[in-house]
Amino acid sequence: MKKIFLLAAALITVVFVSGHVHAMTADEIMKKSQAAFLYPGADLKARVMMKLVSKGGQERVREMMMLRKNYGQPGGEQKYFMYFFQPADVRNMTFMVYKYPGKDADRWLFVPAINMVRRIAAQDKRSSFVGSDFTYEDISGRNLEDDTHAVVKDEKIGDCDCTVIKSTPKAAEMEYSYKLSWIDKGTFLPIKEEYYDKKGELYRVFSADEIKDVKGHPTIIKRSMKNLLSGHMTEVSFLKAEYNVGIEDSLFTERYLKQPPKRWIE
Amino acid sequence: MKKFSLVEFSVDHPKLIVALSIILTLLFLTQFPKVRTDTNPKNMLPPTSDVRVGNDEVEKTFGLYEDMIVLGIQNEKGILNSDTLGKVQRITDEILKIKGVAARDVSSFTTIDNVTVEGETLKVGPLMIMAPKTDKEMAVMRKALFENPLFIDRIISKDGKTTAIYVPLEKGGNGKEIADKIREIIKTEKGDETYYVAGDPVARDTFGADMFKLMAVFAPIAGMVMLLVRFLMFKDLFLSMTLMMDAMISIVWSMGLLIGLGFPIHIMSSMAPVFMMAIATDSMHIFNEFYFRYREKKDKRAAIIATMNAVSRPVRNTALATAAGFGVLLFMNIIPVKVFGGLVAFGTIVLRVLSFSFIPAMFTFVKDEKIEKISRSEDSEAGGSSFLKKLAGLGIRKPATTVLVGVVLVVAAIIGISKTVVNNNLVEWFKKGSDVRVADTVMNKALGGTSLGYIVAISDKDDYIKTPEAMRYIEGLQRRLEKLPVVGKTTSVVDYVKRINRVLHNDDPKYDAVPENKEMIGQYLFLFAMSAKPSDLDNVADYPFRKANIWVQLKTWDAKAMESVIAAVDEYRKENPTLMVFKPAGIAYFNLVWNHEVLWDMVKGLILALIAVFAILAYDFRSIKWALIGYIPLLFTIILIYGVVGFVGKDFDMPISVMSCLSLGMAVDFAIHFVSRLRQRMKETPGESLADALLWTAARPGKGIMRNAILFAAAFAVMLFAPLTPYITVGAFIVSMMLLSALMTILYLPALITLTQGWLFKGEVR
Repeated sequence: MKKIFLLAAALITVVFVSGHVHAMTADEIMKKSQAAFLYPGADLKARVMMKLVSKGGQERVREMMMLRKNYGQPGGEQKYFMYFFQPADVRNMTFMVYKYPGKDADRWLFVPAINMVRRIAAQDKRSSFVGSDFTYEDISGRNLEDDTHAVVKDEKIGDCDCTVIKSTPKAAEMEYSYKLSWIDKGTFLPIKEEYYDKKGELYRVFSADEIKDVKGHPTIIKRSMKNLLSGHMTEVSFLKAEYNVGIEDSLFTERYLKQPPKRWIE
Repeated sequence: MKKFSLVEFSVDHPKLIVALSIILTLLFLTQFPKVRTDTNPKNMLPPTSDVRVGNDEVEKTFGLYEDMIVLGIQNEKGILNSDTLGKVQRITDEILKIKGVAARDVSSFTTIDNVTVEGETLKVGPLMIMAPKTDKEMAVMRKALFENPLFIDRIISKDGKTTAIYVPLEKGGNGKEIADKIREIIKTEKGDETYYVAGDPVARDTFGADMFKLMAVFAPIAGMVMLLVRFLMFKDLFLSMTLMMDAMISIVWSMGLLIGLGFPIHIMSSMAPVFMMAIATDSMHIFNEFYFRYREKKDKRAAIIATMNAVSRPVRNTALATAAGFGVLLFMNIIPVKVFGGLVAFGTIVLRVLSFSFIPAMFTFVKDEKIEKISRSEDSEAGGSSFLKKLAGLGIRKPATTVLVGVVLVVAAIIGISKTVVNNNLVEWFKKGSDVRVADTVMNKALGGTSLGYIVAISDKDDYIKTPEAMRYIEGLQRRLEKLPVVGKTTSVVDYVKRINRVLHNDDPKYDAVPENKEMIGQYLFLFAMSAKPSDLDNVADYPFRKANIWVQLKTWDAKAMESVIAAVDEYRKENPTLMVFKPAGIAYFNLVWNHEVLWDMVKGLILALIAVFAILAYDFRSIKWALIGYIPLLFTIILIYGVVGFVGKDFDMPISVMSCLSLGMAVDFAIHFVSRLRQRMKETPGESLADALLWTAARPGKGIMRNAILFAAAFAVMLFAPLTPYITVGAFIVSMMLLSALMTILYLPALITLTQGWLFKGEVR
């Protein structure tokens, strides 16, 4: 009798919980996912290792400190500051991005060898980030309003219960026709993303390979993006990550771009 | 006496033999639907050859595509107007949607990376997003194009009249389908522009289609021509049909076997049917003799057996010699040549077996009255025979003069041979005026060059390529190479570094140079990698920056063009010592290596064929002396033809070189028939003088020789109208070789035998 009761309770819970998730619209899920994936904490300091692997197995490494600060709500403005350690000859190179919702980002690059800061006009958000398989958009996120989102199905990936969302860009000139995201129902982190090209064929796959709790925020500390057409792959791992470290606004200026404060790059 | 029994068995069981032949033929025919062609020039050499392994490695290291279609767009009024550029944009958009196209690396106005500077802002993006509409916008575009050396001669010609869209294919992409879709896309555009679809995949498809044309149209026409000529010669439909069937059976068997074993058909093997039809004509000696014998014996069975008795040895040995001529090709390095050699050698052996079974069996089906009618018209004194007698008579009466004229001709020919240029040019395998040739010519004239070679600079230290020292060295090498008349354009990682340097310094042309230190170079390259497509950098530098890939666009497909590039690299390296080594690669280099292989194959093949043919002659005649005599007209013919090739200035290419072995194997037939029949005659009619015996030989088997040569020539003359130049070359070669060697045999053998009779017959019973 007790067993039956427990079973019934469990069933009710399952029905209730899953019913609850289903009650969320695709837009809501994507919004929560964006917040969990790109906006946790007031700020973030992460030492990032990027491995670019060619089809033939050749590797290029980029290592950088990434500092991010949120301004306003998830989905709102953000500022990024990046300092490169590797490759050796770009040490001291810095890169800064002001990200605005619904508007092109501003980017600046400091080239230490000629002691020069240059603004970079972002004509193409889809272009590769430092030669990797990630685009600028993959790093800083895509404006949710630019796509229409729809729930496709529920699916389990490994141990994660996921909702699969199909996001179709509203603009016709996007390089992909749609994206499928597997959003973990618990953490709302994207566990997997598949990009389909104009011919309707799968060509890029994102996967979250390792998730760890950092100060109460589930964080993807290892991720990869694979281009199925070129066979090229990029692995990104956070060697160290910390939230709410108190990054001051003044960091995101041309002055510090040229001479980043030691404490932020150690 | 085993062979004898085959003939008798066939005569006694003709129906069985014919039925068996037909069943076997049908069996081989079942393999035909599996046919596939291989038109990729790469497969001329085995995948394990050094050059292919090296090229594969370079392709992998630098992420290069194996196949690329190039769409050239030309407007006599210039392409820099909003209308034409709008078309470029629309066409590019459509091309990006085609399945099998590596869309991410298509280069066109709307996809090529352009790094520019405006005030303090660095702009990175495609060269064109929308076609410029105002004059001002167009002026900006013009400036962006002509100030960037990376664009000139690539997507814009210097005169502004030509652009190109480069369409790389994914591995396994269907070149033909993609090219057809591109043709459909351009069909929907109207206006003054002319379009050229070019590139390896297009050339290969055209080639494949032309190959089928040869096999499905030209080979049957050659067959019909032979049928007709044979009919006119013998006025005998039965004989003509039998020989035709004989040839068809051998073709079906050998092609069926080839296909069944899983071999693709290459350019050379596509010619095999014509060769086999021609080789089948050798059986004509059997008919020739049969009709003579029938007149003497008046009994069909006896005539058949007597005929086979008389001709079996020469027929057997000529087949052996022909098979040997083709068989030596099996020892070559070039795969299509190897396959072709094996294929025709097999076909020749099939033909020989048929000569002793199928043909005698067929004789039994003809009515006696009919044979009588035909054999009556066969008179050794009539028609052609008297001409042959005159010809032989000339040799007999004036042997010294005849031989002297020959010697003079040989000397002249040797001078011609010394002028031979070994060269293969794959584009010139297409006829002048063909789409492929025209597109190639136009693109070579307007843009950087369609034949691509690579020079890979290799250092032993990571990041060495990023040093100013390496950069300046490569830049200097590029300028040196660009001085060569065959080089249209070179591109390397240095060009990108220089471009970024200039752009970072507010587009000041002063900075269009290699930066002064390694940090700058490293950071510029990083900046470039941050902004451009990853493949742009991958194509020119490897990951650890140990190697740099210099693209060398050549304006000609001549194999020797790459040779001059390599020589210039060596020379530059000698003048400027460096730790880097330079390795050539790419299709242009492949052509060069292949070209050398062709030459060495030819030398090797010719030596092998000379030995094999001599051995067969010596074995057949049981005499070294006779073998030597039989050899001379043969060599004479070949030397003369190659002399003419040298004088005319025709490139000594693969088809020509293959011919050297084959012609030995085929032309030797005539010498074998002539000498063996002469000696047989002398044995049969002991009282006859040498001169009379020679005249008889020239008239009777000589007629067979002449007919054989004419039939051969008739079949191959059809190839003169074929769609690809190698076919034309082979056609012309065989026609002249056959006629010349028949003439040589009938004129020179009597002259030589007369001149050397003392030596020849020493020790023999006269």
